[in-house]
Amino acid sequence: MFWRIWWRLLRGSRARLAVAFLAIASGATVCAALLNLQFDADRKLTREFRTLGANLVVSPAGPLGANPGEPLLMSEHVLDHIAAISAPPGTVAAPYLYIVGRAAASPNSEPKNVIIAGTHLSEMSSLAPFWKIDTMELPEPDPNKGCLVGKSVAQQLGLSLGNALELSYGNSHEQLRVSGIVTAGGPDDNQVFVDLPVAQRLAGLDGRISLVQLSVPQTPAAIEQFTSRIAAQLPGVTVRPIRQLAEGEGRLFSRIKGLLLATVILILVLTALCVLATMAALAMDRRLDVGLMKALGGSMRQVLHLFLLEAGSLGLAGGLVGCGAGLLLSEWVGRRVFGASVTPRLEVLPITLALMVGVSLAGAFPLRLLARVKPAVIFRGEA
Amino acid sequence: MSPLVQVENLVKQFGKLRALDGLSLTVEAGEWIAVMGPSGSGKTTLINILGGLDSPTSGSVLMDGADIAGLGESELVRYRAEKVGFVFQQFHLIPYLTALENVMLAQYFHSITDEEQAAAALRRVGLADRLEHLPAQLSGGEQQRVAIARALINQPKLILADEPTGNLDEANEQIVLNIFRELHSAGHTIVMVTHAPAIARLADRRIELAHGRLEQITAVSAEV
Repeated sequence: MFWRIWWRLLRGSRARLAVAFLAIASGATVCAALLNLQFDADRKLTREFRTLGANLVVSPAGPLGANPGEPLLMSEHVLDHIAAISAPPGTVAAPYLYIVGRAAASPNSEPKNVIIAGTHLSEMSSLAPFWKIDTMELPEPDPNKGCLVGKSVAQQLGLSLGNALELSYGNSHEQLRVSGIVTAGGPDDNQVFVDLPVAQRLAGLDGRISLVQLSVPQTPAAIEQFTSRIAAQLPGVTVRPIRQLAEGEGRLFSRIKGLLLATVILILVLTALCVLATMAALAMDRRLDVGLMKALGGSMRQVLHLFLLEAGSLGLAGGLVGCGAGLLLSEWVGRRVFGASVTPRLEVLPITLALMVGVSLAGAFPLRLLARVKPAVIFRGEA
Repeated sequence: MSPLVQVENLVKQFGKLRALDGLSLTVEAGEWIAVMGPSGSGKTTLINILGGLDSPTSGSVLMDGADIAGLGESELVRYRAEKVGFVFQQFHLIPYLTALENVMLAQYFHSITDEEQAAAALRRVGLADRLEHLPAQLSGGEQQRVAIARALINQPKLILADEPTGNLDEANEQIVLNIFRELHSAGHTIVMVTHAPAIARLADRRIELAHGRLEQITAVSAEV
């Protein structure tokens, strides 16, 4: 009989309850969408941030050498040690050896000082995805190795794609060919990028590197943990986040999460207020019914159970419908904002349902006031 | 044998208004009492107190030997579910429950529901073909018969009727009164508020109230 009355209650007040249902379903839609976005935001934002390049630098720890001008170097095996530490998935690492050498477009032209960066040229697309590189395929066989030249260097030396380039450091010389011109919009435009062995041979620093740059596509917290692991296992090095970027990521992460959370809370409050208004009207409608139920021997607990179950059912139904719509909404927002689909997260369903049932029960507070209904007063028409 | 209901020096005060002013009366088991009097004389207040819907300011109401004036809220709930059945002038059916469900609602609050028993109660008042109708689909007389079936379903010791024919036309009034006659013949105890002397004459005794006091008790048989 309990369920029969419950069903009749729902049917009997369907016009008013439809308003509450719409409010709950709308609230659940936005909540589910935001929660799904929040859960997926880490992955999406991390991927977006990684298009900005490396976010960690590993360099030799002090003290400085005997000659203060002498650069600090470390073994390139550091790269192997880092690889041995369980790096977060998707991590890309590249060694760098920086030297200041001289560059000339031809044997007859005046050489100019340039910064030569020896690295793994094949990793550059992952470590510096923001670079714009004009490239060309070098003809095979070509005795000269390819190199990437910063835009400013190319302009100063009058270099174009495919031109020969002679790099010198002390008495060492290397003949290279320009396979790409880099436009980075920063210091990289003033450098020449060569394969690491070329730079090491030129400087006579076999097996030595200046630093390692890492791109770790993880949340700030996960990057922090990885940094601590490297520092603990490689005492001879210093691990530094590229601060401006890392702090920006952290701030944006917390702001976006805070914004999403605040919006969810606001939506919940608004939904509860709407349910409250509907239930207050319903409570007024049902005073006589409640008075009658009490007159027939119904305890307040029995009567309230009915009404609270009705409110809970409303929350559950609205939550279910809203959750489905919310996942679709988050998918749409994900495509619009991140340019990629947002993975539906299973945990959003129980959280949204629990929130909506909670909001409905809180919004059903006016029905609790029916406990004060006195049948004789109701029948006298005084309340 | 002690009376089913024994009211002693009953007082009910609403602010400055004294609705019942030292009322005393008894109702024997199986008796039909008609309560009469002008508006504001305390008839409905008496019914409400006898039915546990309201509590007296002072005095005692012994029902089956127990003083309902001293019952707590939860005990009053059980009292209403088990001891009394109400029939109101306005019928007071739950509008979104069918006739059958309205009767079963009283069963539900009493103990457990029995659909067949509820249907039998409705058949007894001539509503065999109205079981699944909502109150809005029933005439006034039919709604009142549903209310009577609901009042009887838990076999209460006392049936309290507050002007049960006040909203009915003559034909339906006769149908409802015939049902009350049958109930009385079957041994039910009825306390009925009425303004109609003709209806009061069907009762065993007529109690007349004025300003919350007992003005007159008349044994109807003595009038005949």
